[in-house]
Amino acid sequence: MKENEPLLDEPLLEVSKLTLDYNLGKRKMRALDRVSFQIEKGEIIGVAGESGCGKSTLGLAIIKLLPKIASIRRGEILFEGQDLLKLSEEQMNKKIRGQKISMIFQNPQDALNPVFTIEKQMVDILKTQRLYKNKRIKSAKFFRDQAIDRLKATGIADPAARLSNYPFEFSGGMKQRVMIGMALSSGTSLLLADEATTALDVTIEAQINKLIADLAKEYKTSVLYVSHNLGVLAELADRIMIMYAGRVFEMGTTRDVFDFPSHPYSAALLESMPSRQEKGKRLLSIPGFVPPLDNLPSGCSFHPRCKFAEDICKKEVPPMEEVTPGHFSACFLDTKRGRKRLQWI
Amino acid sequence: MLKYSFKRVLWVFPTLIGVLLLLFSLTYFLPGDPATAILGPRATPELIEEINSRLHLDRSMPVRLGYYLKGIAQGDLGTSVWSGHSVSSLMAEALGHTAILAVTTLAVAAIIGIILGAFGAIRQDTPISGIVTIVSLMGVALPDFVAALLLMLVFCVTIPILPAIGAGEGFWDILVHLILPATALGIGWVGYLARLTQESMVDVLEADYIRTARAFAIPQKSIAYVYALKNAIIPTITVLGLGVGKLLGGAVFVEIIFSRPGLGKLIVDAVYARDFPVLQGGILVATVLFVLANLVADISYGFVNPQIQYD
Amino acid sequence: MNMTSTDIIQKKRSLTPGWTQNLTIIFKSIAKKKGGLIGCIFITIMLLCAIAAPWLAPFDPNEQNIVQRFAGPGLTHLLGTDYLGRDTLSRIIYGCRIAVLVAFGAVSLSSIFGVFLGVVAGYNEGKKFDYFIIWLFDIVRSFPQIILALAIVAVLGPSLINVVVALAFTAFPFYGRIARAQTLSVKETDYVKAAKAMGQKPIKIILKHITPNIMAPVIVCLGMDMATMVIWESGLSFLGLGVRPPTASWGIMLRNGYKYIQVSPWTIVWPALAIAFSMIAFSLFSDGLRVALDPKERNR
Repeated sequence: MKENEPLLDEPLLEVSKLTLDYNLGKRKMRALDRVSFQIEKGEIIGVAGESGCGKSTLGLAIIKLLPKIASIRRGEILFEGQDLLKLSEEQMNKKIRGQKISMIFQNPQDALNPVFTIEKQMVDILKTQRLYKNKRIKSAKFFRDQAIDRLKATGIADPAARLSNYPFEFSGGMKQRVMIGMALSSGTSLLLADEATTALDVTIEAQINKLIADLAKEYKTSVLYVSHNLGVLAELADRIMIMYAGRVFEMGTTRDVFDFPSHPYSAALLESMPSRQEKGKRLLSIPGFVPPLDNLPSGCSFHPRCKFAEDICKKEVPPMEEVTPGHFSACFLDTKRGRKRLQWI
Repeated sequence: MLKYSFKRVLWVFPTLIGVLLLLFSLTYFLPGDPATAILGPRATPELIEEINSRLHLDRSMPVRLGYYLKGIAQGDLGTSVWSGHSVSSLMAEALGHTAILAVTTLAVAAIIGIILGAFGAIRQDTPISGIVTIVSLMGVALPDFVAALLLMLVFCVTIPILPAIGAGEGFWDILVHLILPATALGIGWVGYLARLTQESMVDVLEADYIRTARAFAIPQKSIAYVYALKNAIIPTITVLGLGVGKLLGGAVFVEIIFSRPGLGKLIVDAVYARDFPVLQGGILVATVLFVLANLVADISYGFVNPQIQYD
Repeated sequence: MNMTSTDIIQKKRSLTPGWTQNLTIIFKSIAKKKGGLIGCIFITIMLLCAIAAPWLAPFDPNEQNIVQRFAGPGLTHLLGTDYLGRDTLSRIIYGCRIAVLVAFGAVSLSSIFGVFLGVVAGYNEGKKFDYFIIWLFDIVRSFPQIILALAIVAVLGPSLINVVVALAFTAFPFYGRIARAQTLSVKETDYVKAAKAMGQKPIKIILKHITPNIMAPVIVCLGMDMATMVIWESGLSFLGLGVRPPTASWGIMLRNGYKYIQVSPWTIVWPALAIAFSMIAFSLFSDGLRVALDPKERNR
């Protein structure tokens, strides 16, 4: 049972014009530029893009775990109606982190403390959550049982025995299961998954993603799933957001974006997936490089590499336009987008 | 874990054999004739010969080594030619004093140093990390005997409030006599440990698992002093373990300056007096303890850092 | 694309700048940070004193002037005089010479010897020679350093050269271990394997390929070691087991100061400060060196 259930109309998470800089001495990298999107209750949103496009920063910004050099210039992050940016650290800890919003990270190897047992780490988290909810701290056995339940839910065999193990005694996939057990429970409203399976073997990757999807469905948790692997997102996500150099280029249902990409970058990304290309032909790669975030091109940041670039693209930043209902794209290109598929080759 | 420890322990033996060989060659080549040194003006050829045969000084080196080893096996390290006491009893007494000094110094230095370093890392914006740097620099600039001399100058000569000589008797007296020597020895350690802990802590605080703890709202105090510290302290503990061994033989200067009866002073006095048995025994004991301390530090590292066990 | 062995070696040669360029780069990065800059300046001062002692010192360091013994700081004798009336300032400057000699001498000796043994041992990993060398290293390392140095000087007799030899002997295993560990990893790199495949003689491989690439941690160790050597020499001289009087070493000055501590505090303070100065110099410099050579730290 979730406390304070929001109105049905209100999205769970609404990010508006989020703009964020990283200050490195003299250089200022704009990691996020007027990023706006929404997540509804129970839906899985995939965030795709190359390295450095800002997708990881997005997750960290929502849970407010950004490094000190980051500063938020503008924007709001409305979670269940409340602007997270206005909450203090204390309030974030008390109500949000680990309870309503959880995050799991890319590298399970380093995400767990090597000198403590799994039991200690899980129990500490469970105790903390109870503490913040102002509930009485119960006996050690109580927490132990809770921890066992969590591990069981993630499919770890013999959870009771595994509790006394140290992280290095687990494989990568199992460590990620532990992380999921820590992060996902019936009280979690939003799970932020940052490249959760990128560091795992392909077969394990499939298992873990299925686990995330199943548990999310069971607990009615929304998921913001960040990944550069479009294949994974195709399977998991209800809607997809494509990011480039800190900006959102395209957003829509997975079907819409994959079948009718209406931004040249999205089209190129999709076409460069090895699975989509014919055997024997050269692999497509987009010419050029992702621009440095402290020295972005004028106008549309993709224009130097864009096959369809025109004069206006160099001068003005294209606004997000609704191409077909629910499908948005930020590009000046005027084709019958949404119904005709952009071809890169 | 056991396999690693076993191999490690096994390697100690050939090392000790080599140590004995080296030690023995050194004393073999030590100039000076102990017989004349002891007897002084009373030296007559017969007495000299008697002492030489008693100490086996007239035999070849392998034979002398053999006698020595036989003695060790029986717990006898020889007799001091200077005082006539058995070397083992001299060792025992000296070790006691040195051990007290070493342990006190390290304990106090560790507490101050670790707290300082941890604070310096957690509150990086405050001047505390600057203090850590200054203290560490001071420790480097003032090696133990320089610090000892300066401390003696200020607190024993200029403002005579602390004792300059001896180890004292009775609990409080001993403590008072420990203040200056421990401070002299400890300055360097406090700076070193503080810097070590601070650097280690700063690294740990940037680690992924700390980020995980924050993502789950673990309170900041708990993160700093439990989650982070236990990881950060690992190199410090290792260093401390080695430090005990080092100080047992390494407090030489402080002991001499403050005339404290300890292992270091015993050895140096034996060098001056050409007291071979004590010299040999002293160096042997200091070395063996050093080796043991390293061994224990190595093995216990496996307990603090569980990952090492399986390497 | 498969690179031939020649390609790999040539590519490596073109990537590594000559050693003079390396030195300039290193010095520049040391001097960039405050600590390193101060260290460099202090060391330059020390080197100046050491080299130009006869011209810098106002008096002859051994010139006795009993009438003026135990003088405090004054106009003629800027830092005062010692128990024999010798000018303290001059003795400090000449003492700097001893300190620099010992530091550089002992460190060079121990590092050359140690690195050589370490590299050869590492190159022949697993063979009897390797085990033998490790055994040697461990034996010497088992002794507490001062004690061993003490004993060696006691055997050889106190003198400057013997001090240098003794100190070098206690230190060489440390360089040996570092060199050996580095050699073990460098051995497995592509360019070494390529050189072997081309039939280059082991000696050439060691000199040309392995040695330059293991030097980074060794150099860092050198820096800190110089500081330690100055301390040990002072300590040994303090015990009367180091440099022989009347040579002016800071350790001997401390020894005299200690004897007369009741009479004249000044005779202790100046050599103590001199030692502190040199310690700070070497420490800051070697810290700067460490940061400059560590690829991770360069981006901080």
